[in-house]
Amino acid sequence: MSSLPCGTRNYSYAEDMAIFRTKTQWALLIGLLILLMIGPLFVGNFWLNKINLIGITLIAATGLNILVGYCGQLSIGQVGFIAVGAYTSTILTSKLGLPFPVSFVCSGLMAGIIGLMFAIPSVRVKGFYLAIASIAAQFIIVWVISKWTGLTGGSNGMLVPDASIGGLVFNTQKSFYYLIIGVAVVCIFLAKNLARTRVGRAFIAIRDNDLAAEVMGINLFYYKMLAFFIGCFMAGIAGSLLAHWSVSISPDNFSFSESILYVGIIIIGGLGTTLGPILGVVLIRLMQVGVTQATPWLQSTLPGMPNGFATGITPMLFGLIIVLFLIFEPRGLAHRWNLFKASYRLWPFSY
Amino acid sequence: MAELTQFIITGLAVGMVYALIALGFTLIWKSTGVANLALGQLVLLCSWFTYSMMHQLHLSIWLAFPAVVLFALVVGWVIERFALRPLIGQPILSLIAVTLGLGYFISGMVSFIWPQSIAALPQIFPKNPVHIGGAVISQEYVWAAGISLLVFTLLSLFYKYHRMGIAMRATADDQMAVQACGIPVTRIFSMSWMFACVVAAVGGILISSIGGISNGLVETGLKTFSVVILGGLDSFGGSMIAGPIIGLAKSLGTGYLTPYLWPEFGEVIPYIIIVFVIIFKPFGLFGEKRIERI
Repeated sequence: MSSLPCGTRNYSYAEDMAIFRTKTQWALLIGLLILLMIGPLFVGNFWLNKINLIGITLIAATGLNILVGYCGQLSIGQVGFIAVGAYTSTILTSKLGLPFPVSFVCSGLMAGIIGLMFAIPSVRVKGFYLAIASIAAQFIIVWVISKWTGLTGGSNGMLVPDASIGGLVFNTQKSFYYLIIGVAVVCIFLAKNLARTRVGRAFIAIRDNDLAAEVMGINLFYYKMLAFFIGCFMAGIAGSLLAHWSVSISPDNFSFSESILYVGIIIIGGLGTTLGPILGVVLIRLMQVGVTQATPWLQSTLPGMPNGFATGITPMLFGLIIVLFLIFEPRGLAHRWNLFKASYRLWPFSY
Repeated sequence: MAELTQFIITGLAVGMVYALIALGFTLIWKSTGVANLALGQLVLLCSWFTYSMMHQLHLSIWLAFPAVVLFALVVGWVIERFALRPLIGQPILSLIAVTLGLGYFISGMVSFIWPQSIAALPQIFPKNPVHIGGAVISQEYVWAAGISLLVFTLLSLFYKYHRMGIAMRATADDQMAVQACGIPVTRIFSMSWMFACVVAAVGGILISSIGGISNGLVETGLKTFSVVILGGLDSFGGSMIAGPIIGLAKSLGTGYLTPYLWPEFGEVIPYIIIVFVIIFKPFGLFGEKRIERI
């Protein structure tokens, strides 16, 4: 599928396995990392806020992509597991006074374990049944959170203490930027490499045909559970970051429509690719910014707009985009990007 | 005792409406193999349309109801023609995701057109409550149960004896063979969606005459999946039996367990049932067990 840059030959297996092969790619990677490092110096607080949200969404979407895109287990409850992570981290830091790094890891583990509980059906069923089970998981989790008032503060929500590592306190957008982007980069790197290992190949085999995979000697139970654990773990750590970043959390932050949005993100980006979630998250979150910015302006210029314009336009637009992508480009933006790269490399010869 | 009768009768009645909405799911699943997750949003849309017809245009129910049915038919046709038909033959993941996107779109459209977000349907059924064995039941419940049963019977008869119904069952059984026999499969798909939307509309009118119209109807749609799962995805009779079971569980659970547990426990009972059914009996009470080949 993907063609190599011109003149690239491999002389060893290590070279063949390398993600970054050419000097140009290394230069681009280092350039990107430097850009990520110095980026916040040139960006105002407004955009830094949006970028942080993009980073958090990206971590959760990468986890969901491993589960749905690589392993083929459709889960529409990702936000429920984000909620588990957010509340675990908040409770551990505020009620038990544990340091942030501990609560960060614990929130991932907790979300992973709760994910495993709802993953048990995946051993026997798939497709629609699993989707329904994950929807049920989302509603049960959010219900428990909003009713267990003694622990979670119920619908009033909770205040989240500042995150700190050692003496370093994360309480500005800029400091959070480095934390979130750091975690996101590590997650993406892990996801990229996971897909190339034995585990990732087993996931792909299960996605393509789980019966055939089982006959080939792949332990379905183990790998499906592993996929759920990894997916929910990433949701959990994203939730932990989300909680500390947004200072206060309440059950309303974790709605079902947000879960649908996560599925939309990975579909728009491209299932089963590393690049997909990145493109999808950036597109969706930037569009949200665009819509919220444009709505007051549209309402003032077009006075005939109905009252529900502001609340209705976002879901309408995103629903439409999800449907259109599924119809016209089910492989997502990542596939388009690959096509573009290939045609760019081969130009002007089309073979 | 009167309390118990009350819970049982309201539970059964609401359960019947759930079963009716679940039929809308089963219709589509059986003949097209698409899992319609936009069920709740369709119910919501049709309920709001009824509200517009009755409250804003002041039509009587006898004029409003045909209009709603017509609207539902159009919605069903449009959805099938423009969203589902291009995806025929795609993996199940795309088919589920496309209905999710549709649901998202419809819920946006609803809050676009009807921004008030909460409304009560005008009185459709007679007001004075009926007394059944000491319990006082408002007439909506009785009517809802009766009409659901009627629609279910009509649909089953249609499936059993009408030419089109037989063609639909055949499509559900073997698409290739049906195509070879010269039955227009695409028309059958479109018919199933139109029927399902009408069923969702009737269910919507009934359930919103009991509880009013709000975004909660979307969740009602999600809760009916417990009926679908418990009854078996491809069984009409299954959902008709599972509906009242879920309705009873919900009303008895809300009535008797709330003091011992957290409030609004009834709201999650359907989801808990979903999880347990999927773990222990994934194909439901009457579902067909699928045997897979490589």
